[in-house]
Amino acid sequence: MEHLITGFQDVLTPGILVWVAVGVTLGYVLGALPGLGKATGVAVAIPLTLYLEPVAALGMLIGIAKGSAAGSAVSAILLNTPGEPSSAPTALDGYPLARQGKAQKALKMGLFASVIGDFVSTMILIGLAAPLASYALLIGPVELCAILLFSLTFVGGLSGGSLTKGLIAAAFGVFFATVGLEPETFIPRMTFGLLELEDGIALVPMAIGMLAVAEMTLQAGNMRALDVEAARISEGARREDRVVLASEWRRCVPVIARGTLIGSAVGILPGLGASVGSFLSYGATRRASATPEKYGTGMIEGVAAAESADNAVVPSSLVPLFALGIPGSVIAAILIAAFILHGLTPGPLMFKQQPRLVADVYASMICASLIMLVIGYTGQRIFAQVIKVPLRLIIPGVLLLCSVGAYLETGSVFSIYVMLFFALIGFFARKLDFSFVTFLIGFVIGPSLELTFRQSIQILDHDVANLPGHPIAIVFVFLTIATAVWTARSNGRLAAARARRTTKPCISKREGR
Amino acid sequence: MRRANVVSGVVLGLLSLLMLFAVIPAQIDPGPDGIVSPRLVPSMTMILVAALSVLLVVNNMRAPEPGAPEASLPFTRAELAALLKIGAVFALALGLYFLVSPLAAGAGLVVGALLALGERRPVVIVLMPAVLLLALWLLFYKVLGTAIV
Repeated sequence: MEHLITGFQDVLTPGILVWVAVGVTLGYVLGALPGLGKATGVAVAIPLTLYLEPVAALGMLIGIAKGSAAGSAVSAILLNTPGEPSSAPTALDGYPLARQGKAQKALKMGLFASVIGDFVSTMILIGLAAPLASYALLIGPVELCAILLFSLTFVGGLSGGSLTKGLIAAAFGVFFATVGLEPETFIPRMTFGLLELEDGIALVPMAIGMLAVAEMTLQAGNMRALDVEAARISEGARREDRVVLASEWRRCVPVIARGTLIGSAVGILPGLGASVGSFLSYGATRRASATPEKYGTGMIEGVAAAESADNAVVPSSLVPLFALGIPGSVIAAILIAAFILHGLTPGPLMFKQQPRLVADVYASMICASLIMLVIGYTGQRIFAQVIKVPLRLIIPGVLLLCSVGAYLETGSVFSIYVMLFFALIGFFARKLDFSFVTFLIGFVIGPSLELTFRQSIQILDHDVANLPGHPIAIVFVFLTIATAVWTARSNGRLAAARARRTTKPCISKREGR
Repeated sequence: MRRANVVSGVVLGLLSLLMLFAVIPAQIDPGPDGIVSPRLVPSMTMILVAALSVLLVVNNMRAPEPGAPEASLPFTRAELAALLKIGAVFALALGLYFLVSPLAAGAGLVVGALLALGERRPVVIVLMPAVLLLALWLLFYKVLGTAIV
């Protein structure tokens, strides 16, 4: 607690708060633009923070992550095009509200639900991460290797539609992480004689390429449809169409509370992600409603349910990162690079080695939640205008920022090549449904996985028969196998259901002839 | 998607075999005796990719249910055209970087992307790169007090 007070003393200065506010604003704008999510925003912004103080830099990046999670509701409500997949359920009721001239009301409820979900989840992170980390210190390399394998399988199974593709993506992520000098023998691996590759592939240009450039390319291919949708937005003239009424608040408070709890729980589990949280919350709210048939026609509770859960996922997804050093989501994977760049190595030891910086991060997160409310509320009309800017004017600016961001990471044009290479991979991965989330998480945990695997071989004396001496590792090995089997079966059932759905209309069409 | 899965499975399978039998042995020394080989983890990942690629191909080669339509290609023509256009814009920017200057590369990237995406208003084409580059200069050289290049 005393560290947290010190953290607030460090953060509550104009020099830091300005950067947190800049981050939230930037994040809100990025989130409002379809396709530019929180991970993209943070990846592009990391190099821009290289010259800031650690607290200001981390505050700004956290502000971007939080701001963009809230901002993604803007395009979902106004365009029926979620800024991120996790805002898709927001569009189900938010867009009909916008079509009824109640866009301002939906945007306001989305913002309030986002801020509450985010704030409560931040408190959960602060309360849970340190106690969990103290247990994590008892875990040895064999156990950690098993936990990492489990996380990778879990993420691989849930991030896309196919476990096989998810695991292929994860394996490639780990493979690319092995490029560079091998840490034990300093033997170069797959450097092709290039000095630039001896330190390995830099995460930031890779992430910028896979997330931002690939997404912008896809947006460029679909920009006409998005621009047509933006031109259709209309606004209601009555006051009750623009504000959240007391009766609506009464209906939405329990919905927001449930969404926040669901989002926080989903965030703590590695790999589930914000989309699962927002869909689960929306589904639970609809099931609990006395009028479930009205959902999808403009129910304000639908917006509250989806947005509270979506934003609650972001802070709580940092629990496994802070407690175990394992990124549970793509935003956590990207933030690892930022934390390390600014002198904070995520994992159980950070609470002992750098309690002040951790407290500063927590204080920044709480401040970012409150700043998000102020900036979101005052600037909502302006942010809503951003999505009316045609994509052909947005994409060139984003591409320039991506290039500057990648270039700054190493100060070499080689980073641009890396960015373009992974942009190409990201483009095909998205279209062929190979999870780039799993790829990036595989890449980030790859070095730890390899290190703990090598250590495990030594500890177990090259003999699997010695594994029973590590019961926690055995539990996670079984969990890994069980996850793989369960995910493969459920994916198989989903695929069969999809095939039946596509077959039925064909058969009925033929029968009708 | 079924056909795309088969093709991607075959391509990834072949790629993993190429890595296993050609690239990894050529690019990674076996390492000294007595320690875990530096080739171990890269080889294990490629073996995993090869096995999973076979699984992907086999699962998708199974005969589709009767009446199931063959899904359309995962790429639209517009998306592939956008990929080519943006690739060409980056090639132009890199050319300008090496032949002229980083500033010209930045301007070329913005102007090239604007033109490739259909912008034809001369004012926008002139003003946008100027404003963006000026904003970057202000941010890095004045606010943050550092240089980009």
